[in-house]
Formats: sequence, structure tokens, C-alpha cells
Amino acid sequence: MGALEILWKIISWPPLWQLIVLGLIVPLLVVIYILWFERKTAARVQRRIGPLHVSPKIAGGLQLLADLIRYSFQEIIIPKTVDKAAFISAPLIALILSILPVVGVPFTDKPEWFPIPMDYSLLVVLALVTLSPIFLIVAGWASNNKFSIIGGMREAFMITAYELIIIVSVASAGVAVGSYNIVDIVHAQTGWKLLGLLNPIAFFTAFVGVLLATSGFPFEIPESEHEVVAGAFTEYSGLMYGINMGAAYLKRMVYSIVLSVAFLGGWLPYTPGEGFVSGYLIPSIVIMVKATILMMIFSFLRAVYGRYRLDQALDLAWKIMFPLAAIGFGLSLAEAYLGIF
Amino acid sequence: MSGFVRGSVGYNDLGLPGMWTRRIGKDVYEVFIGPQHPGSGHTRIIIWVDGDIIVDSEIDMGYVHRTMEKLSEGRQWIKAIPLFERMAIHDACNVTLPYVRAVEKLLDVEPPERASYLRVLLCEINRIAAFLYGFGIFGVFLGHSTMYMWPFGDREVWVELAEWLTGARLTHTYPVFGGVRRDVPAGFTDALRKAIRYMRRRLEDYRKIFVDNPVIRSRLEGVGVIPKKIAVELGITGPNLRASGVEYDVRMNHPYEVYDRLDFEIPVFEEGDAYARVLQRVEEIKQSLRILEQVADWLDKHEKTPIMAEKFWKTAPPLYKKVFQEQGRVKLPATFAIMKVPAGKAYERGETARGEISYYVESNGANKPYRVRIHSPSARNAIVFKYILPGHRVMDLPAIYGSIDYFPPEADR
Amino acid sequence: MPPQPVHKRVHPRGVFSRFKGNIEAITIGVKFFFNPERSTLIYPKEYIKLKDGYRGFIVLIKDKCINCGSCARICPAAAMKLIRLPFTDPKTGRTRMKLWPVINYNRCIFCGYCVDVCPTEALYHVPYHDVVWDTMEEAETDLEKFQKPPEWKTEKEGIPVRYVFDEKKGLVKVRVEGEE
Repeated sequence: MGALEILWKIISWPPLWQLIVLGLIVPLLVVIYILWFERKTAARVQRRIGPLHVSPKIAGGLQLLADLIRYSFQEIIIPKTVDKAAFISAPLIALILSILPVVGVPFTDKPEWFPIPMDYSLLVVLALVTLSPIFLIVAGWASNNKFSIIGGMREAFMITAYELIIIVSVASAGVAVGSYNIVDIVHAQTGWKLLGLLNPIAFFTAFVGVLLATSGFPFEIPESEHEVVAGAFTEYSGLMYGINMGAAYLKRMVYSIVLSVAFLGGWLPYTPGEGFVSGYLIPSIVIMVKATILMMIFSFLRAVYGRYRLDQALDLAWKIMFPLAAIGFGLSLAEAYLGIF
Repeated sequence: MSGFVRGSVGYNDLGLPGMWTRRIGKDVYEVFIGPQHPGSGHTRIIIWVDGDIIVDSEIDMGYVHRTMEKLSEGRQWIKAIPLFERMAIHDACNVTLPYVRAVEKLLDVEPPERASYLRVLLCEINRIAAFLYGFGIFGVFLGHSTMYMWPFGDREVWVELAEWLTGARLTHTYPVFGGVRRDVPAGFTDALRKAIRYMRRRLEDYRKIFVDNPVIRSRLEGVGVIPKKIAVELGITGPNLRASGVEYDVRMNHPYEVYDRLDFEIPVFEEGDAYARVLQRVEEIKQSLRILEQVADWLDKHEKTPIMAEKFWKTAPPLYKKVFQEQGRVKLPATFAIMKVPAGKAYERGETARGEISYYVESNGANKPYRVRIHSPSARNAIVFKYILPGHRVMDLPAIYGSIDYFPPEADR
Repeated sequence: MPPQPVHKRVHPRGVFSRFKGNIEAITIGVKFFFNPERSTLIYPKEYIKLKDGYRGFIVLIKDKCINCGSCARICPAAAMKLIRLPFTDPKTGRTRMKLWPVINYNRCIFCGYCVDVCPTEALYHVPYHDVVWDTMEEAETDLEKFQKPPEWKTEKEGIPVRYVFDEKKGLVKVRVEGEE
């Protein structure tokens, strides 16, 4: 076994290149597309044109790249009064943690392409998803700024509201199928027995939960500009601010992937075959397309809604959405009892 | 020397030279919102919060104070009109009209009937544009970006009309002593009627996306309630006062120009909360559209008679009359620049989009005002922040701020 | 008929109207998403051809000027100043010092008082306002410069459009063709 062969083996080891491709390149492209789409869709609803002048031929598609370049050349200001270690590390850790849950998501049913094969992948994903918001609070706390702390506290309140909703409603997908392995969940949905259709309540609550979790409208409360400037990110500048903002969209992407495998049938209606293209590339593209459509719906809501007040959002979450999620869970139990899957 | 602001639990001057100190409660958090804050405007609101509840608040005005009253004393009478417009440039005609009328009272001239109608025309166009401007700001305060863009886009219709009429988008300098400066151009009333019908259609769109939007209703209902009694005591004015159930509108109680000849309603809401103030403004836009329709009809029916007072127009040279016949443009008499106004005092008020504005004008017979005192509506509404904010949540601040439609440059003068 | 007060009340809302409100809001959002009805002006590729009577830059017709100084006297921003220059009368051939108006666009607020007060119509507005000067000195005019309209670069590079009023779309952008 030559050195080159070993090197190739390391590079072609699924967890590694999946980390690079799935962890860095795909999210970047998806986030850039979604940000562009979000600006364009808001512009359409608002009778504007939106980004255009950077690349008029593709309707301003490169605007986000231009923004990214601008962010990267901007000075990163670290105020004297902040807790430096936490201030710098919090957004980075949040960024990593917000993309980390993808390791648990199999994009195909062929085990050789799994990042990490496991039997409780859905639960692992849900567990990992809930980690990153803590570092947002850390970022707010370390900033030593009143608006940051208020923003961080709002995020803390929101965590209590949305975590349970998302976990209960996504877990109800596993309950209905009788397995927490995502592959089993997707397989059970074969033949248009999509959980999103069979258990729309759980899907709806999960949808609203994701809106709450990723501060999408109408729940854009922690970063609400007109009260707390930029929430926990008030003191950040340049690329650090970009990372913070990007992390929120990565989180939304991960949630969308989870929703599309748990409720929208993952790679279905495609059946993965052998080899790289049929066994991995096409199913993962199907999942990403589904996730992107979900994200586009999240983005569209920005143009229609304002934001709720914090206490009203919590009210909605605890008094309406949580009972609904519980009902969805019960519905899943009933479906499992009736043996639909 | 004492503290210039007070906390909820009193202030305690430590006697440090050159330093304001105040003690605030143990669990109270002091947040300065503004003057450089995305949700403050050119003013500063200081709030003391306990948890999420505002326990005390104070408004710190004056960041855009431009000494307008004093500046006007140093320049001739007519030059104060473009100056006073700068208080609220999107409401320029309403803001300057009482000044013009006060000086007219001193000069003892009356504008011709057609000029009065034209003044009302521009006043109502300005009023609608100013309401739409307020809606836009309000929408973005609540995070509703569509409600930010739509009213600003539709305001363009009215700004375009005003530009067609006066030649300038915002600072029209339209009413002058004795009349107005331009007559309506050909085809203006047809465009105006189209704009009116368009606006009615758009108000329905606004209702769907903003006014009846459940998120917005949740944010606004029961928030920032100003009871009728408190509203009168605080002396707030304009749509905010009427939304609290007080029947007071200068156009109704002290009619000026031709408002008493027009058929329109003064809507009054009882609730006094932020939502009622939104509906109040929507209803007032509808009434302004009604007024505009009547003005358009009147202008169509009546022929082009001079729009400058007889006192100034009878001495006008033939060229002036030719220009008016051909272009509809009134050339100002050369005496306007150095005109002396007879000694006396005059007080006039008018209803702007934000409420009652009043001018006290005193002349000592010179070619400049001796004193002009302006009482602007936003300055009167500012007190709301002190007395209505406490007890609300931090997130109610933008809702109340936007619903009051507070405009710092107008308040600070 | 004088205005009358009319008391109104906020209509209450229940669960149904909440549901209806959500549906209505999303429906109208989707409607505009598919049919945006834009009226954005892509400046400077397009520019508005303003109507006659727009109060833009001011130009002096020297032959009509009678040196009365009314314009400088009425200027609220003191942008119009009078300068003393020799003037040779073509009939008599005598040279005398006369006062001529010049304008400083750093100060001008485009109120149009000077144009309206001029007894001989020696001043007129050009219907545009989008000119960029690199320095503050360039915005000041002397007597020669004041007689010519400022150079309007937008006109050379852009497409003229005009907004017409429409009942359904508010302002509709129409390309101006066949003029000049």
C-alpha cells in the first residue's frame, strides 16, 4: 500500500469529504442562494427589483458574493470591554455546531455513504441541533453591551419555547414508524405515505418550531432591529458578524434537511441504486431540493409578517403550539397502533 | 445642579462637579435608545426596565433643534416660508399655511376663493403623503418590511402630484401671502381622480397585509392605551387625540380656508390604543380622498380666475398677467422681498398630519417678524413617551413610537 | 356642509378572523410575488423626464435682465448674489458698471422665488436637478456660467422615461419617445 493510496483512502473516506462538501461547499451555495432568494422575493412582494447592479444578467445573483467579499475585508473590531476569549470563540463554535447535526443525517440508504452509521440518527440530530443557541447567549453575554444581553436573554427565552416543540413534533415521526433511524423513517414513507401528509399537525408544529428557532418572521425577536439593534451580535463587525448571520441560515438549512427527511420522504420518490451517482449524488440532491423549497417558504414569510412580541411568541409556543405538538405526537401513536407504516 | 433625567426610584445627586449622577433601582436596567439607534429617530428615549417591563421612561428631545423661531426673526417675512417648511418637509403645505394665514391677517388680505381651494388641495395631498410616510416607518418598526415599502411606493403617487402642481417634490413653498403660486396644470384633475381611485384600492391591500394581519393586531391591540381623560390632560393632539375619543380637529372646530364648505367626516375612535391610532389614520386618509374629490370637482367647474389677492394682483404689470394666462404661474410682486407688515399680533392654527400646529406672529411694523412662536404637534405628542410607556414591555416601544407618529425635526424645530 | 365627527369602533376579532387574516395576508403576498407591478426607476440607466414647470436649475437670460436685483433680495438662502461688472451699452457704446446676479448652488434651495419675482422673466428653470459637481467651487456660477444650463450628463447616458398615473398600478413607467 503506497503513500498515495493511503492519502486517497483518507480523502475518499466518506466522513472526511462529506465534511468538506456537505459541511462547507453545499451550505455556502445554499445559503447564498437562499439569501439571494430572500431578498428577491421580498423585493417582488414589495414591488421593487432587489439586488441587480452587481450582475444584471443573472438578476443580481452575485450580490451575496460581493457582500461576502466586503465583509471579509472589513475591520474586525474587538471592543476593550468584552470578554475576548468568549467573544471570539462563541460565533465560531456556534457556526460549527449549527452545521454539525448533518453528520447524523444519511443522504441515502446505502451504508457505505453514511457519514456515521447509527441507529438513533434522528435523536442524535435533534440533540446536536439544540447545542448552538447556547453560544449565541454566550456571545451576547461576552459582548458586555446592554442590547446584546437583552438579545441573548430573548434567545434564551425562545430556546425554552421552541426546543420542546421541535423535539416532540420531529420525534413523533419516529414514533409513527417505530424507529429512530432516519433510513427506516424514509423507507416507511415509500408510496406517498409521507408523514407530512399523514401527520400534518406534527409537520405544522415542527414548521413553526423551526421559524421560532431560526428567528424567522414572524418570530424574529432576538435580533429585532428596532429594539435591540442586532441582538447578541450588536458588538460584532466584519466577518464575525457575517459568521453570526450565516450561522442562523445554516441552522435553518439543517432544520430544513431534518424536516424534509422526517416529513417529506427524504430521497423519495427516487430509489438509490449502486455507485456514487445513483447511490449518493441524486438522493442527496433530492433532499437538498426539498430542504431548499422549505427554506424558500420560510423566506417568503418575511414579506408577509411583522414580528410578534416576545411574550406573545412564548404564549403562542406554549399555549397553542406545544399542545398541538402533543396532539401530533398522539396522532403518530395512533397511526403506529393502527399499523399504517 | 440636578440630574436632568430621573429614574423610577428618584434621583440622588452625589454633588460631583460637572457630573450628573442618578441612582436607579437595584434590578433596574437603564437603556438609552437613540439618538443613534435603528428605532429611535433623531431623538433619545431613555427607558428603565425591570426584566422586560419598562418602569420609567423619559424622552430627551432637541437633537435636531435648528433655532427656527430665532432664524425667522432675522429674515424678511416671505423668506420664513421655506424655512418653516423644513420642520416637516413631507407635510410642507400644512406646516406653513398657518404662518401664511397669520401674516395675511396682519396684512389684511384675503386669498381668492380659487387660491383657498388650491391650498386645501395641496394640504390634503400632503396629509395623505405624510400618513403614508408614517405608515412606512411604523411598518418597519414592527418588522413588517412590506408595509415599509408599499406606503413609500404609493406615497410617490402623491409626491408626483404635488410636484406637478408646485414644481417641487417636497419643499413646495406653495402658499404665499395673498394666494398660491401656481394654478393647476391641464389634465391635473384627471390624474388626481385616478390617484384617488388607486389609493382606495391600495387601502384594501394594506388592510389585508397589515391592518388585519393577526400578528400586527396582536402587537397593537391594547398597547399604548391613552384614555380620553389622560389624552386631554397631556394635551396631545391630532389623530392620536381623536383615536382616544376626543372630537377635536382644527378643520372642524376652527375651520380655515374652505374646509367648512366641504363635506367630510372627522373619524373618532374610542379605544385609544395603538391599533385604534392605525385605524384612525386609515380613516383619515379615506376622508382626505373625499375632500380631494370635491376639490377636483370644484376646480373643474370653475374657470381660471386669479389666485393672488386683489391687493397685489391689481398692480401687476401686463407681463405678469400674460405669464399667469399662459403658464398658470403667479409672478410674485417685487415688493414681497422688502414688504413691511403692519404692527400687530396674530395667532393662527392649522391641522397638519400629526395634529394641530399654531403660530403666534408678532410684527412691529418692520420688514422682518418681531417674534414667531411655533407650537408644533410632535412637540405636544412627545410627552406620551413619558407617561404612557411605563408598564409596557420593551418590545412595545416601537409599536407605541410608530403609532404616535412622532417626528423629531418637527418637535425640535 | 361643514365636517362632522363620526364615532367608530375597532371591530373585534375572534378565532375565525385570526385565521382569515393569516390567509388574506399570505394570499396577497403570493399575489404580488407572482405579479410584482414594479415601478422602480433604474437610475441612471433610465431617468425621469420631468414635466414643464419643474423647479430645477436656474438660468439667466442676460439680454432680458434689467439689473434690478429683486432676485437677490428675495432669495431666502442668500444663494443669489449681485456682482458688479462693466457693461457696454451696444447703442450708445458707453461702458458702465452694472449689478448682475450670479447663483451659488451650494446654497440654493430651489424655491423658485427669484424666477417668480423677476419682472422681465429673465430667469427660467431647467427641468432637471441631477448634476454632480466635484468641488464646491464648481457649484458656484459666474455670469458666463449662469447663462448656460449646467451640463446634464444623465440625459446623454440614460433613457428618458415618464410616469403616468394609472388607476390600477399607481404610477406606470412609460418610455418617452420621439421627443427632441
